[in-house]
Amino acid sequence: MKPQQTLRRTGDFLAERFPVDKLNFASMVGKKEVPVHRLSWGYYLGGLALFFFMVQVVTGLMLLFYYQPTVSDAHASVEYITEHVPAGALVRNIHAWASSLMIASVLGHLLSAFAMKAFARPRELTWVSGALLLGITFAFGFTGYLLPWHQIAVNATKIGLQTIEEIGAYLPGQMSLWPAAIKEIIQGEATVGQATLSRFFALHVIILPLGIVAVLGAHLLSVQLHGMSQGVDDKPRRMEKFFPAFLLKDLSVWGVAFMILFVLGLCLPFESLFAYPLFEPYNPKGSTPDGIKPEWYFFWIYYPLELLPFWVILAGQGLLGVVLLGTPWIFRNTNRRTLQVLAVAAGLYLLVMTVFGETIYHLFKG
Amino acid sequence: MVDAFLFVGLPYIAIVTALIVGIRRVRGNPFSMSSRSSQFLEDRKLAWGSAPWHLGILVVLAGHVVAGVFPKIWSSLLAAPGALFVVEALGVAGSLLALAGLAALIYRRLTSARVQAVTVPADLIVSALLLGQILVGLMSAIHFRYGSAWSAGTVVPYFWGLVTLSPDLSYVADFPMLFKLHLVGAWLIVLLLPFTRLMHLLAVPLPYLWRAPQLVLWNNVRRRQQARAAVVQAESRREFLKGAAGAAGATGLLALGVSEKTLSFFRGPRPDLESESALLQKKLERLQQTAEERQLELERQRNDMILVGRYADLVETKGRYFIDYAMGPGLAFKGRDGLPIVLSAKCTHLGCTVGSELDARGRVLCPCHISYFDVQTGRPNDGAPAKLPLPQIGWALVDAGGKVVASRKPGQPLPGLLDPASLSQCSLYITKPGRDLGPS
Repeated sequence: MKPQQTLRRTGDFLAERFPVDKLNFASMVGKKEVPVHRLSWGYYLGGLALFFFMVQVVTGLMLLFYYQPTVSDAHASVEYITEHVPAGALVRNIHAWASSLMIASVLGHLLSAFAMKAFARPRELTWVSGALLLGITFAFGFTGYLLPWHQIAVNATKIGLQTIEEIGAYLPGQMSLWPAAIKEIIQGEATVGQATLSRFFALHVIILPLGIVAVLGAHLLSVQLHGMSQGVDDKPRRMEKFFPAFLLKDLSVWGVAFMILFVLGLCLPFESLFAYPLFEPYNPKGSTPDGIKPEWYFFWIYYPLELLPFWVILAGQGLLGVVLLGTPWIFRNTNRRTLQVLAVAAGLYLLVMTVFGETIYHLFKG
Repeated sequence: MVDAFLFVGLPYIAIVTALIVGIRRVRGNPFSMSSRSSQFLEDRKLAWGSAPWHLGILVVLAGHVVAGVFPKIWSSLLAAPGALFVVEALGVAGSLLALAGLAALIYRRLTSARVQAVTVPADLIVSALLLGQILVGLMSAIHFRYGSAWSAGTVVPYFWGLVTLSPDLSYVADFPMLFKLHLVGAWLIVLLLPFTRLMHLLAVPLPYLWRAPQLVLWNNVRRRQQARAAVVQAESRREFLKGAAGAAGATGLLALGVSEKTLSFFRGPRPDLESESALLQKKLERLQQTAEERQLELERQRNDMILVGRYADLVETKGRYFIDYAMGPGLAFKGRDGLPIVLSAKCTHLGCTVGSELDARGRVLCPCHISYFDVQTGRPNDGAPAKLPLPQIGWALVDAGGKVVASRKPGQPLPGLLDPASLSQCSLYITKPGRDLGPS
């Protein structure tokens, strides 16, 4: 192929994915319509994830007023927020609950978009940006977990970072040293300490937010440019206007979500789901306490990691990444029926591993 | 004497007259209950006057009625921090809104020829009276601030004295002139109620929101179709009003609840002296802990030997934790031969700190992924997630005089038999990797 031809084809590709001629209010809001069919509920999940993200931004900024990212003060400042600042426990609790709910709705959004074949041409790049957003969201969860600097936070982070180093054993020659080097770059020093806390703090409150806002902007823009995907094979009998009908319903869903979140935040401390001693300040001289595990949204990878050889997980993880980013091209010719079966299977796997992961683990390991 | 007439006589005259004439009017001419509408004659200026006026006066009136009729509930509401400011601000905002609306209404009545055609003198009297009443009320609210709080001990007892037929002038006597004027104005309005359009105050149009749809029937086909369309439009307006009211109420409640929480969040805690010093104490302890760790780090960089503990304190079944040269955890036991066993406590799998209790087979457990390590050799059990043994750490025993009695480097043979009795005064040190300690 001649270079000119390549250039032209790239231009055509991008022009189809970002139709700038539609970049006006009339076609993005005024004329946009949302199909009404039995899978329409899936259209609300992305908005829900966006809502929880906004809650995270607001509560996160509020926590920033009191949190201090140093090894001597981090735990004390979190305790101060929870016990002394008026409504501090509520704000922190909402931040914790909304993080979980955000990840849950992101996963739901992923599976429903997959089942509806919402990634089909011309929405390939929308899907890819969504896959990036998923990664950033998990990174938010991982970095935020360390900040309270209690036993479970530091020890779980140590284990999480150590698994990076493990990859080295499967790489040839000089490359086998790279993962350890990468780990040290993330960690900042020989063991998880002040440098790690500073880096995770910077990641969690500045770098990742900047990244997510950029990718989210592209994601939302392309959703508005292309409109909602049809989602089902037969042309839906009814469409509703995006503005105001769908938007009003979307906002009502947000209202209900906020209500649930607020009540959860008031009534059920997120930490009550763990055993208490794990929340004592991190003690570098003591032994690792029992029951160290990551947040529930890592169970789907954590328990298989405990049960299966490391290389199996590593290969699976790599494959998953490739499939996730390549979905629009890999499943280009798959029909919606098959996609739905796959999505349900993946959903069931996530559900079973999250709810029964520990039971399964004990079943095999005694 | 004048006070007695204005604040006891006038109220009773006003109430009794309002009751008698009002009942007669309702029974004799029920359709005159509403305010005669002039919307048909002029509707542009009306919208700019009527809406703010009614919205404002409803807020202000609601405050007056609740404070007067339910004084206990009112005071408990005001007891919440910040509530007084909110109530006062709402009151002033409401009366300003009402004032603006009323001014627009009066202007309309005085300038529109069509409206003047249906204006009766009573309308002008009522307008002027209401305007004066609001002005006086607003002035006294600003001049004698926090009336919503102090009225509970002054106006409310006077009002209840009238209601219970035991009027008490002692409260009124000390009122400032401005305030007396406001009270007299109020009774005059009550007195005028049944004679004027103010009567519509008693006809609250709330059933509008849930009454059944009304369709006017026409014989004329064209008219019938128009009427149908009008009903559809009216119904959609009614639904919109209901939805808007619900949304506004919900948003208002939400904003109130959220701002109550966030404001106090940003204001921060105001701890008393005791809890403040407890907090400071805790902070200081954490800082000292951090300082100790930094100290340990520095020692490990500078010293060739680091103290673990007294030899006599070592036991066979429970290890003693210490920090090794890599700033990782280490464990020290007393072996069966009486010599120390010193090894790293950092699990070779994923770096957890292993437990210190020996089980029956002389092993320690890493709780993270269940690896058992034999402390004699450091080796993990078969099938454990950990594959490599826990590394041994070089150690030295130093007697009371500072002389190295025995030392061992990792991978080297034991220093030979020593008399355990001679070791009781010794201390156990770990030695820096790669440093020679000289003769043992």
